[in-house]
Formats: sequence, C-alpha cells, structure tokens
Amino acid sequence: MKLELGFIEIKDIQFSNESKVENGTLFVNADDVKAFVYEDDDVKACVKSVCFDIAKPGESVRITPVKDVIEPRVKVEGPGGEFPGVIAKVDTVGSGKTHVLRGMAVVTAGPIVGFQEGIIDMTGPGAEYTPFSKLLNLVMVCTQVEGVHQHEYEHAVRIAGLRAATFIGELGRNVTPDETKEFETLGIREGLEKYPNLPRVGYVHMLQSQGLLHDTYVYGVDAKRTLTTIIYPTETMDGAIISGNCVSACDKNTTYHHQNNPVVADLFEQHGKTLNYVCNIITNENVYLADKQRSSDWSAKLCRLLDLDGVIVSQEGFGNPDTDLIMNTKKIEQVGVKTTIITDEYAGQDGKSQSLADADPLADAVVTGGNANMVIELPKLDKVIGTLDYVDKIAGGHAGSLRPDGSIEAELQVITGATNEMGFNCLSAR
Amino acid sequence: MSYRVVHYINQFFAQIGGEEMAHIAPELREGAVGPGTAFDAAWNGEAKIVNTIICGDSHFAEHEKESKAQILAWVKEINPDLFIAGPAFNAGRYGYACANIALAVKEELGIPVLTGMYEENPGADLKDKVLIVATTNNAAGMRKAAPTMAKLAMKLMKGEKLGASCEDGYMNNGIRVNFFEKERGSRRAVKMLLNKLADKPFTTEYPMPSFDRVAPNPAVKDLSHAVVALCTSGGIVPKGNPDHIESSSASHYGEYCIAGVENLTPDKYETAHGGYDPVYANEDPDRVLPVDVMREFEREGKIGKLHDYFYTTVGNGTAVANAKKFAAEYAQKLKQAGVNAVIMTST
Amino acid sequence: MKNGRDFMIVTNNPLVEKVLSKYYEVRYLPEENYRAILITVRDLVYAGHKLYTHPLSGSVKPNETPYKSVVVSKVPHKMNADEAAIISNCVEAYDKFTPRNRMLSDKVLGDFQLIDYTLLCGAVDYDAAAGLSKLDNQI
Repeated sequence: MKLELGFIEIKDIQFSNESKVENGTLFVNADDVKAFVYEDDDVKACVKSVCFDIAKPGESVRITPVKDVIEPRVKVEGPGGEFPGVIAKVDTVGSGKTHVLRGMAVVTAGPIVGFQEGIIDMTGPGAEYTPFSKLLNLVMVCTQVEGVHQHEYEHAVRIAGLRAATFIGELGRNVTPDETKEFETLGIREGLEKYPNLPRVGYVHMLQSQGLLHDTYVYGVDAKRTLTTIIYPTETMDGAIISGNCVSACDKNTTYHHQNNPVVADLFEQHGKTLNYVCNIITNENVYLADKQRSSDWSAKLCRLLDLDGVIVSQEGFGNPDTDLIMNTKKIEQVGVKTTIITDEYAGQDGKSQSLADADPLADAVVTGGNANMVIELPKLDKVIGTLDYVDKIAGGHAGSLRPDGSIEAELQVITGATNEMGFNCLSAR
Repeated sequence: MSYRVVHYINQFFAQIGGEEMAHIAPELREGAVGPGTAFDAAWNGEAKIVNTIICGDSHFAEHEKESKAQILAWVKEINPDLFIAGPAFNAGRYGYACANIALAVKEELGIPVLTGMYEENPGADLKDKVLIVATTNNAAGMRKAAPTMAKLAMKLMKGEKLGASCEDGYMNNGIRVNFFEKERGSRRAVKMLLNKLADKPFTTEYPMPSFDRVAPNPAVKDLSHAVVALCTSGGIVPKGNPDHIESSSASHYGEYCIAGVENLTPDKYETAHGGYDPVYANEDPDRVLPVDVMREFEREGKIGKLHDYFYTTVGNGTAVANAKKFAAEYAQKLKQAGVNAVIMTST
Repeated sequence: MKNGRDFMIVTNNPLVEKVLSKYYEVRYLPEENYRAILITVRDLVYAGHKLYTHPLSGSVKPNETPYKSVVVSKVPHKMNADEAAIISNCVEAYDKFTPRNRMLSDKVLGDFQLIDYTLLCGAVDYDAAAGLSKLDNQI
C-alpha cells in the first residue's frame, strides 16, 4: 500500500469572508465552518454553540480545557476519505494521495464533564511541554445543550471537531503542496524478497479503550470491541484511528498524534535502510482482565505469525494499561521477538515512587516520556480561550491550583500531550 | 570568598605507598594532595580544598568506628562547605571507605557530600544514600572524572537543583528527574531496538525494579502433622536485646528458644525494630510474633507443633543482600531440624 | 461473552447501585472511600474471590475521583497470586498520589460517578447509555 502525503505549509491563519488557502495563509470564514459542523444531526441536538478563535505560537494565550487536537487533511486521490467510518465512508484508506495542512491544527475545547483536562499554553514554561504550542491553532470552543447526557455530548463534540478539520482540510484540495513524501508498505512476500537481510520490525500500537473520555475508534469502531489486529501504517495517516477525547491530558493520544504517529514516521525513515517495517499491530487496553489476557496473547501470536524480529510497543494512559504493556512485552519476548517499549511515568511529585503499576525484568528496553507528577508553575497569560473554571479540578490540579493572580501550580499531567507515550516529544527522565 | 572543601583520599592517591601502606591511620594535611589538585584546577578559585584527609584502606576497613570518629571530629572543626571523597574507580575497599565516610559526614554533620567510583564498586551500594559520580574502572579515567565531580560539587555548594542522573553524571539513585533529550522518544526507541536486535549494548531509560520473585513451594499436604516455625523481620527479641540486633540496617539475626513458652510477655520480650512505633509491640510482643495463636493451633490440632526456635532480625533499611544471607543460613538450620513450614511475619 | 452470573460489583458509586443492582450482584459500600474499596477488594481476592476487572480502571487519578467500582466473583474460587499482586500494586499506586483536598460540587461528583459507571459498563459489556435512559424513564 502506497500513500503520498503532500504537505501544504500553513504560516498564518486569519478570519476572513472567504475560506481558502492562499500562499501559505489559511483564510477562514468562521460561519462557513460552523454551518458545515452543524450539518450533523448529533451536533445539532447536543452542541448549543461553537465559537472560533485563533492562537498563534508565542502569543500569551492559554487554551483550556482542551478536548482533542486534529490536523486538517484531505484525500485528493485514491479510495476513501479522511476519518473513515466516522466522517467519510468506511472504505479502506492509506493509499493514493493526501494533502496535509502542516503547521496548524483544529483544537476543540470546552467542558464535557465538570473535571477537565488539557491546557495548551502558547508561550512560557508550559509551552515547552506541549507540541501544540508550536502550531497555529484554530480553536473551536463548544458548549452543551442543557439536559443532554454527557456521553451523547462527547460524541457530538468529537464529530464537531472532526467535521471542522474536514472542512478546513478540504480547502487544501487544489493547492499545490510545498513538499511531498511517499510511504510504502510492501506485502509480506515482496518485503522478504526485497529486504532479505534486514530485521523485520513491527509496531505494536496500544489503544486506550475503557469508557467515556477514555476511548479510541478504529474506522469508527470502538476499540473496546476490537480484537488485536493488523493495519497498514499509512492507514493511520488518513485518520483511521481517532481519539475519543480524553481525561488525562498528558498521555492520551489526540487525533493529531494518531495522524502524525512518530513511531510510524521514524520506522518509515529507517525502512529499507536498517530495518524492514512490516506493519502495525493494534491492540486495546480493556479493563476486564480476561480481555487483557486475550489481547496480549493475540499480540504475541501475530508477532510470531508474522515472523517479526523486533517490535516497538507504545502505550496509552495510566494505571491498568501498565498491566497491558507488561503483558504484551512479556508475551512477545517469550515468543522470541525483541521489544522496545515507550511509556510515561507516575513517580510521585518527589520522583521517588515506583513509576509503573506493573513491571517485569523482560521489559529491559524502555523509553520514557517523563514523570507526569512533576509539579510545574504556569504564569498568568494575557488571554484564555475556553475557561479557567476547571483548572482546580483537572487531572493534576488541586485546591488552590489556580492562584488569585491567574498563575497555575499543577502537575505536568495537565498539559496536553506532555508525556506522550508514542515518543512524540523529547521529554525524558532518569 | 571561595567555597571551602575537605577532600578524602587513600594512601595510594596520596602517593605514600601501595598495598604495603594500606594500614596507615587517618592523617590531616593542609591544602590539596594528589587528585585534589585537579579539583582545585577545575574550580578555578571559586572553591578550594582547604584540607585533605588521608587514610589507609585497610585501616578504615578494620577500624571503621575509630577512623570515622577521628575524621568526623576533624571535619566538624574545619566546617567546610563540601566534603568530597575519591574518586575510587574500581578499588573496592577505597570505594567502601569513600561512600561510608561521605555518608557519615552527611548524616552526622549535615554537610553536602560527593564521591565517585566505578558502578560495580561495592561502595556503590550506597548510591541511594550518597551522591556518587559514575567513573571508569581505573585511574586513567581521572581526566574525565575530575571535571564531572568538580561541576556537580559546585552545584551542591551553590545549592542548585540537580539535573537528571545522566545529565549530571551521578549514579541513578532512584529519584526520577525530567529533562529534555535531543531526539524525540520514538526515534530513541527505534535506535534502541536496532541496537538490541544487533546484540549491541543499549541503556534502558527506566530500569525495571528488580523483584527477586521466589516461586512458591507446593502447599503443605497435612498441616495438622506439620512442624511450623515462626520467623520475623519485625525485630522481636528477648528483653534487653542480648545480641544487640540493630534497630536499622541489621548486621545479623537472632535465634531464640521458645520451648515451653505459651505466649510472649512484655517482661521477657521486646522489639528492637526502629522503623515503627514500638508501643503496641512492646505491650504484647505476640502482636508481631504470634506465639500465643500458634500454641492455640497446637492445642486444637490445627498444626502438629510450633518449632522450638524462632529466628528474628530487623527489616528496617536492612540490605537485601544481608537479608538473603541470614535467611539462607537459618533456612538450613530449619531444614535440619525437620521444620515443614515457616510463617514469616513482617512489619 | 461475560459470565455476569458470577459477578459481584464492589462499589461506592451510587449511580452504579441505582442502575446495575437489578442485573448484577452489587456490594454497595457508600461509606468506604476509594482506598477502602481497594482494600475490601484486596481482602476478597486474598480470600479466593476471582478478580474480573483491573482496579485501576480509567485515567482519572485515584486522588481525583472518590468513586471506584471493581468486579470480583460472587463466591471464592481459588486464590490467584497474580491477581493478588495486581490488587496490592493498585493500593501502592494509590498511595503515591498526593491528596488533592478539593471540595467537589454535586455536578462534578455526578460526572465522576458517570465516568466510573461507564468504565464499569465497558468492562462488563453492559450498555451504559441504555442503562442511563432506563433510569431517566423511571423517574
């Protein structure tokens, strides 16, 4: 399967009467986006209002509470469309050509439940810890229709965000990309013949799958309901996997993370040179123990069936996913396939507690995204997009987290994407 | 005004002699000696070694209490801003001395300390208690060790926050510190995997805690005929602690006879353990070593017999290696005495 | 297929009790806090009850939400050392989080109840949304 990504560099965003991408600037008519977003019945029924704002890198702007971050893309050639099974139909994606509006993102914000996660600071110490401070962000703040249930509202906000990103992505359809890059995954036999001497490497991608604000969707299917399976790495580049919003900002993979999966990118970089990147294996992280056992048994089974030499395993979330991570690692090592795993840590505010809820000596090659309990001071910023009402109650906040002077003292957990377990960031710990 | 430092070295680095001079008692000299001059050079006037203490490695090992006492007295009087020892590279007794004297200065005098040695040096066992810079395994590594130690020492003297262990060059002491790598995590993971696949060395960013899992033996078939022994790490000892089992970091265990003893009473038994509030254990030592309940079980026929001896030590801060050693020894005694099962109480 | 007949839900979450007590055995302990629920579960597991769900469900940290639901077997079967290790690790994990000392409004408490409830439903394959609308219709 071969996919060509065409990157259109976005250097500025401006509100305007006409929605278009011209010379690297996204001009957007907020009403047009709003109309497109509201074409969906669930959004109509559950989302009272959406309002748009723009946040640029370096500005003294704080966006909170953040729900999801999505990159606008559009399929220009080949089967299917972005976000298959959710926005586009379920046709298999990952081939043909896709345009990417690089350098920007659509950020959905606003409360879903009364405790919220997700702060993106566009400047200051907080900006160092989130990749999204470096993007031009088109923020869509949503509010809830009274009386609507939280899980219906979450679904509607999810759809609203993806629709907004789809609308913006569509504006790049006829723009000539500044850079193109090709990604190809060969069939098993082809790959063996072409790279007989390179180690066969796969990517075991763990997906959080537990409940409201803890979910991931694959072609629109709730990951809780999936059995461990194989997908082409390029499918993720077309939004095959999306985030069900989330409750732990630092280590939930936003849709942007899925679209720009760094493990996929870095494995492709070495593909054909130092390794043969065979495929992705996606596996879930259910709460039911027997499900964990089944999923991890299957991960190991597929690794063995595919005759892989080694895999990268990336985790998502805190707590019981540590058990999945260790189960996957142990079982994969035990069938003779070598592992390197990526996780984050909760070592307490003093860094002295045991970082993971589970462990095993077979997990001897670990990359860490850092200690999420580290306390950080975020200074007052001039503008807030969204609301500060929930800062005290977000994961990592505490009574008095939001100080009277507008500064925030909280754990690193509050920052969107701070300790990402796909290895998106440079943050680490020793 | 520059910072004042006291440096501890052994007879070899003081150029007094080798093994044959390892018996010399501690001596105090003015200014820097041997490798100390490298520290002074690195500090370039910001800090200075005002005194050097030299001690023979054998002497320290064989007269630890007295050596420590003398050295502490000197350091107390000099009252430096920092105490630095070594680096000891792979010299075992030297490393032991450096780590232990540094710990003593830190704990008794509250002065910041630093030492350096090779990771496998036995002194490195104390890396959780004392800051130890990781060096190569021989003195050729001095060129690199000295500036690393000097830099970290300056941070300590200035009261600056330490970076992660790999940034500042000290041995991983179990406290996780965040820092930014040059490359993103996924790239580091790909590199690590490639090294692992090629059987090349790699360093994990998070060493898994070692669990030392012991596979359980099969269940006792017939408890009603079994000889069961009581053991404890809760420190129950005869009143007066006749064998002086330490309240923490125990260096030995005790073996005591309870033949004919129906229950442990506060006039005859007590706890030596310094890690928990002793009031309830001293009121009724059965609470930690339940002899009374075991005697009940004997009477009811639930167990065959309570073994005549119990084995006890204090689990508070006791080194894992020592704990293993004690148990390996008295497990043999239990086996020879025909004991079928052990109840180990811990606190 | 989940063996609902053998489930016993140990919980301090009133929403779970309201919706699920008709369909599953629910041991409702409203006076126990999060940690106390973990301890109750631990004691049950030590006594041989099978642990069906991982007690650290969800990413809402133990010091943020007051609610916890865990599924164990109704009756003791055979004590399992791995399950005992899981639940004791959970207690340790709880203890490493600093207490938050926050006053939570009814709405926020309701939201925490909801999250715990949906995590539980996800685990036992019970339709969370249907359960809530049934509840709505009863009122």
